[in-house]
Amino acid sequence: MTRRKFIQKLIKFGAAVIVGTCWLAKKAVPRKFVWAAKLKKYPGSLKPLSDIRKQGKWSG
Amino acid sequence: MIAPGQSGECRVRINIDGVLRSVVYGYPCSLHVDPVEKKPLFHFLPGTKILSLATVGCNLHCRNCQNWEISQANPEDSRAFAYPPEKLVEQAKYYQCPSLAYTYTDPIIFYEYTYDTAKLAERRGIRSVLVTAGYINPEPWKRLLGYIDAANIDLKGITDDFYRRVCSGTLKPVQQALVLAKASGILVEVTHLIIPTLNDKPEEIRQLVRWVKANLGGETPLHFSRFFPRYKMRHLPPTSLRTLDMAREIAISEGMEYVYIGNIRSEVGQNTYCPACGALLIERSQYTILKNRLKKGCCPNCGRQIYGVWK
Repeated sequence: MTRRKFIQKLIKFGAAVIVGTCWLAKKAVPRKFVWAAKLKKYPGSLKPLSDIRKQGKWSG
Repeated sequence: MIAPGQSGECRVRINIDGVLRSVVYGYPCSLHVDPVEKKPLFHFLPGTKILSLATVGCNLHCRNCQNWEISQANPEDSRAFAYPPEKLVEQAKYYQCPSLAYTYTDPIIFYEYTYDTAKLAERRGIRSVLVTAGYINPEPWKRLLGYIDAANIDLKGITDDFYRRVCSGTLKPVQQALVLAKASGILVEVTHLIIPTLNDKPEEIRQLVRWVKANLGGETPLHFSRFFPRYKMRHLPPTSLRTLDMAREIAISEGMEYVYIGNIRSEVGQNTYCPACGALLIERSQYTILKNRLKKGCCPNCGRQIYGVWK
């Protein structure tokens, strides 16, 4: 192995270690924000829309 | 952590094969055109209509919940409409509502639906309002606030013990959400529901008012709301007008400028008065505006600027 090839391998190894450590660190820290994906089908039943001009009976 | 196949506390966010899914995105169970005063928001476009929506579910389980039929419902047992964000914004325009309210249950649990709708609404000139308990982490909260114009946030009690016993939650995240909302520059109004024997002691109310004044400012509108026996608290009586008046007097004596009484008819507790000269600015009866004397958001008598979004 030439000196140049050895240095190239060393750099690749070092880069892989850095990337791996960063990836591990990112995975180890709990995510602060998880975006929920949309579910295609509503699990309950769908109903036709009633007259929305009517004031809501719910509080708020 | 939500285990695979399980849903969170709110019942509407499910871990399906390692992916978090919102089962209520685009499926409101309730959609109505309400007066903005019903939220209650008294300092945000008074006299206007607001298209209001909710999906089922909630991340709190308040034993006194007024809307428990939808907030504590399972999506599997409920009925909803298919209503994507584009349609909501279209309907708001069609019914001449200048704003949309994410309300009735808690928009925190239909976060992605709220976020996408509010983002789209902003582009089409429709404003967005949250009516929430503010039980949310700071990161998603800050991200959502970027598209929100106003919020009525519940401060249900001033002790952690109250939140744990009555709501199955904790106080700190709510206080943090209130402070962040105010700091973000949106209009913030606070609602405190007074429940007989649980949070109606004068010293507790004073403590709550002092916290609001110190952390959100004396100009923050504060609504004391009447409790009605519902859900798991049917054994308690409704809050008396005397208690609500007492709370209002405490808040005013502590320097709060706009203090209201809700869920009950009150002579003075529904009107807005100028904090500088005492002039009657907005006269209300229930959700109806009888008189609005504000001139460009200022008192017509002394010129004092009134906290709010008036146009």
